[in-house]
Amino acid sequence: MRAQYFRIFRWHVLRHLRRHPLLAILNILSVALGVAVYLATQIANHSANRAFAATVDMVAGKAELQITAPARNLPETVFPMAAAATGISAATPLVRGLVTLPDFPGEYLEVLGIDIFTNAPFRTFDPTDFDAGKFDIQRWLGGPGAIAVTEEFVARHNLKSGDKIRAQVNVIDHELQVGFILRSEGAFDSHFAVMDIGWAQELFGRRGELSAIQLRLTNPHDREKVVRELRKVLPPDAAVAAPAQRTEEVDKMLGGFELNLSAMSLLSLVVGMFLIYNTVSASVARRRREIGILRSLGVTRNEVRALFLGEAIVLGSIGAFFGLAGGLLLARLLVGAVAETISSLYVLVNVKQVALDPWTFVIAWTIGLASVIASAWLPAHAAANMAPVHALHGGTILERSVDPSVAWLWSGLVSILLAAAFSFLALSTGPPWLGFVAAFFVLAGFSFLVPWSTSHFSSGARRFFRAVQRQRGKAAVEAELGAENLSRALLRNSITIAALAAAVAMTVGVSVMVFSFRQTVETWINDTLIADLFIAPASNEIVGPSSFIPPAAVQFLASHPAVETVDTFREMDLPMGEQIAAVAVVRGSERRHFQFLQGNGPEIMRRFQAEPCVLVSETFVRRHRLQDGKSIELITPEGVRKFPIAGIFYDYTRDQGIVFMSARNFIQFWHDDRVNSVAVYLKKTGSGEMLSEAFRQQFSRNGQFVIYSNRSLRTRIFQIFDQTFAVTYVLRTIAVIVAITGIFLSLTILITERSRELAIMRAIGGSAGQIRRLLLWETAMLGALAAVIGVASGLCLSLVLIGVINRAFFGWTIQLAFPWRSLALTPFWIFAAALVAGILPAWRAGWLVLAENLRSE
Amino acid sequence: MKKVRAFLIVLLAAGALGADWKTAEPGWQYEFPRDHHAHRDFKTEWWYFTGNVFDGEGHRLGYELTFFRQGITPHAERDPNSSRFIVDDLKFAHFALTDVSKQHFRFEQKTSRGAFGEAGFDDGKRLAWIDNWTLASNGDDAFDLMASNQEGVIQLHLRAAKSPVVHGENGISVKASASGHVSHYYSIPRLQTTGEFFVDGKSYPFRGESWFDHEWATGQLAEGQAGWDWICLQWQDGTELMLYQMRLKNGDPDSSSSGTWIDSNGLATHLRSADFRMTPIAFWKSKANGAQYPIGWRITLPGQQTEFVVRAALEDQELALGPITYWEGAIDASGTRDGKAIKGRGYLELTGYAGPLGELSR
Repeated sequence: MRAQYFRIFRWHVLRHLRRHPLLAILNILSVALGVAVYLATQIANHSANRAFAATVDMVAGKAELQITAPARNLPETVFPMAAAATGISAATPLVRGLVTLPDFPGEYLEVLGIDIFTNAPFRTFDPTDFDAGKFDIQRWLGGPGAIAVTEEFVARHNLKSGDKIRAQVNVIDHELQVGFILRSEGAFDSHFAVMDIGWAQELFGRRGELSAIQLRLTNPHDREKVVRELRKVLPPDAAVAAPAQRTEEVDKMLGGFELNLSAMSLLSLVVGMFLIYNTVSASVARRRREIGILRSLGVTRNEVRALFLGEAIVLGSIGAFFGLAGGLLLARLLVGAVAETISSLYVLVNVKQVALDPWTFVIAWTIGLASVIASAWLPAHAAANMAPVHALHGGTILERSVDPSVAWLWSGLVSILLAAAFSFLALSTGPPWLGFVAAFFVLAGFSFLVPWSTSHFSSGARRFFRAVQRQRGKAAVEAELGAENLSRALLRNSITIAALAAAVAMTVGVSVMVFSFRQTVETWINDTLIADLFIAPASNEIVGPSSFIPPAAVQFLASHPAVETVDTFREMDLPMGEQIAAVAVVRGSERRHFQFLQGNGPEIMRRFQAEPCVLVSETFVRRHRLQDGKSIELITPEGVRKFPIAGIFYDYTRDQGIVFMSARNFIQFWHDDRVNSVAVYLKKTGSGEMLSEAFRQQFSRNGQFVIYSNRSLRTRIFQIFDQTFAVTYVLRTIAVIVAITGIFLSLTILITERSRELAIMRAIGGSAGQIRRLLLWETAMLGALAAVIGVASGLCLSLVLIGVINRAFFGWTIQLAFPWRSLALTPFWIFAAALVAGILPAWRAGWLVLAENLRSE
Repeated sequence: MKKVRAFLIVLLAAGALGADWKTAEPGWQYEFPRDHHAHRDFKTEWWYFTGNVFDGEGHRLGYELTFFRQGITPHAERDPNSSRFIVDDLKFAHFALTDVSKQHFRFEQKTSRGAFGEAGFDDGKRLAWIDNWTLASNGDDAFDLMASNQEGVIQLHLRAAKSPVVHGENGISVKASASGHVSHYYSIPRLQTTGEFFVDGKSYPFRGESWFDHEWATGQLAEGQAGWDWICLQWQDGTELMLYQMRLKNGDPDSSSSGTWIDSNGLATHLRSADFRMTPIAFWKSKANGAQYPIGWRITLPGQQTEFVVRAALEDQELALGPITYWEGAIDASGTRDGKAIKGRGYLELTGYAGPLGELSR
């Protein structure tokens, strides 16, 4: 490119930007916002994944293989055999458990019981006395509750060496003594604590059992051989795998959830693209004369294109940079919300550090810039192809309106058909992300429909206003003119409308999806959650189902005179081939209501109680591609066993799916009758409050249990539900803000653009008030069109979100339900927002300086 | 951050964590073989074997094999149903081998939790063991030892040539002037030793003489004490000598230093600190930690008209272990008694030179 390009660029672009700083700023802002949201979401996702991986790393240390028994604990007697297996260079046993700390509400510690004699080759941390560099091994080995915690934990709770803290395990209070500090080269979660393995077994009531055995290999290439050797001495339900595998499993599990967040975050960027398109085409229109002059002076088409693309790139780069900074700030907000959602839905994570991967930044910046170039391409291309003679034609000729030909209409219809096709593919063959392609085509399709709709609306409105004028005899010139203007700069107006409509569509789509989801869950809860009281160890609220209810407490409830019957519930992960299945063990389930997809409910329940079989959730079936009548193979302590599927039920508690097994079956094969929670059904005459009080007096004086009434549990479930969608709401709100900024921007451009035309109107007798009214009419119509098209497009989008994306990713059946009230209100607030966005530009238009704007005439 | 490589605490540090440990009291009635076994009511105990042996070609080897027990919880307080991982006592052992002709020194440390019986004390035949390092009694007056290092496995068969000798007075050996810092301490000063060293499938037989020390106590080291110099010598004339000198932190010898002279009939004479004088005459500086060890001594026992010089068979016999680093090695002694030349061999132990005892070294 010639050197003079940069000179021209300086004259025509930079000078222009300096003269219209507001335009430049809005452009930069829209890119920045899009990039920021995208980056923040990525950072939040990465941070959550990293936090989990760090947890795995911390526990696994430098282990190359790890033996676990997912269903229960490993018998400790396996350890000497595993350690002596050929190919093992080092082995160490591990006991792991969670304690909650009643003195610090909400706090928990993940306690690792380590064998300090054998774990030196494994650990990535060192316990020392508070005085770093010393280690009192006698205190470490001798004290029942001697524990090492992180410096951060010590600082957070103002602890000193020797302080005692209460720790709750299985609703019993224990005393821990803070005696050591965990030191490590890398930072790790402050919820980690380490103690001697012997005292950890005592603390968790797990004498004779281990959580894991970690191994290092003499030769890492012999992994397969070593695993085969180990298999010979291990119980059949023990799993041998590289510790990193758990990270991979979790990454996979979180994949769908995080992809959805990423997709949501990209929507702001898409809305932003409409804005860029708009400003660049405005810029082209405004400088048509300059383009003509440049072209006549020998500047090539390519250079003209480069001029406008260059402008977009300058603005886009600046915007993307601001976006990176903003994303960093926004990430701090999102990280907590994302981590909380992941903790309540998937695995316990505590994000201590925001993970900043330079590549995330590079990618975010690139995506931002790419979106700018993509949206500037068409107008820049149009500028390049402009005939000089046409461009040089001065005066009031506005941009040549593109014929609202049926081409747009067809493109729209084809897009919508494509959306349907991709939806079908996403559901039938996968991959699930085709659902997002479908969503994209829905938005694109309705955007393509905008020019056609606008043009028809414009002529319809003109006729309407004329008719009104005729009937009332009162002139509505401003309204009529406004309607006409809509179709005069049709393409640009269409873009504005499409941008706003896309934002509206997103809002509507997400609202309908969340509402439907909520309604579905509510119906489901009404049918399944019918017990009167729910009782669980309080620690399970904080750290998941890790504590058990003492048998005496279950007995107390079952035999209380106010109680008709109790159900017990136990939840854990069991190995199923190479995979892990969430299994719930229930007892006394005559009262538990399942909603089966098909089949005779009572007959299924009879089988469930009487035969060795399982019930599986709809999500489970979809995830593992199972069918009714098939069976699943679970690994029991005695080996692999087939369990026929007796029925498939609706469940909305987890996207990974869940397997239900009767307690009778579980005890028979796993010899374990511990329970995590109890549901109590009261007699008609029984009082829930009195029973709760009696239970509290007997077992829960120190708040070891949470007791939910039916209603309070529902409230809690919906709290979790709403928290899950909190991030979604944030992203949606940001997209709407981008869109409203868009309206403001478009109107400002429109007015600047038409200043000459407006000046002529003033010159031939139009009052400032009329000009303002004209513009407000235009804005109002623009808003109304966007609202109507947006709502329609949003409804279609919700179908894709509910019927395609949710099903493909998570396998939930959501009954479509419409939030009528908020849907009905949507057009009004969009309309109002558009009007508000139009007020300032319209008001300014009334103050146009005639002489300056008419000079070219 | 530097890794805490090992985590053992020196045994002799005073204080017993409030647990109910027995302390050594005057009047202990020694009884053998009963007292060869562990005394688990006491906090600290060790079985110490050292010796000088020769192979078929006359090459000299010095060896040290020691088993330590450091109580965490007194035996009586242990809940028999509690986790097998809970440690009642720390178990660790040191094995060092000095190849005098090759001027080569090797040392190892072993420690274990013993949760699965891989280490322990007193299971009937074995008095102490960690993995394949074993001290087993073989009848009333014989012991079988086994240990290994990177080169191979050593097996030793020891038979007492003399009866056990109780050190100190009235059954206790005083370690500090303040009351309570005493131990129960006896030796078998001479054991006829045969054995094999197995390297790469070949066995190298050897024979020679060993010394066995057994000591148990609760908190015998006092504040202000830095370490000790200990020496055992087997003279060619069939007599033996044991001396120890407690050192204060300021470098002076403690007045509670003492020793035992054993005549060829096995009759022991208690030596008080006034009965002997030890003067360092040669030093060796550790490259590992800069510690300056007095590895040569001039020793006089005026009462016995005895004067002799002790020299290390090899300068570097430092067990640079975490956390206890000490020098323990084969020595030669020569001098005069009643004007007649005497020669002997033995072992010298120098502690507290490479950092304070009673703390974790890093």
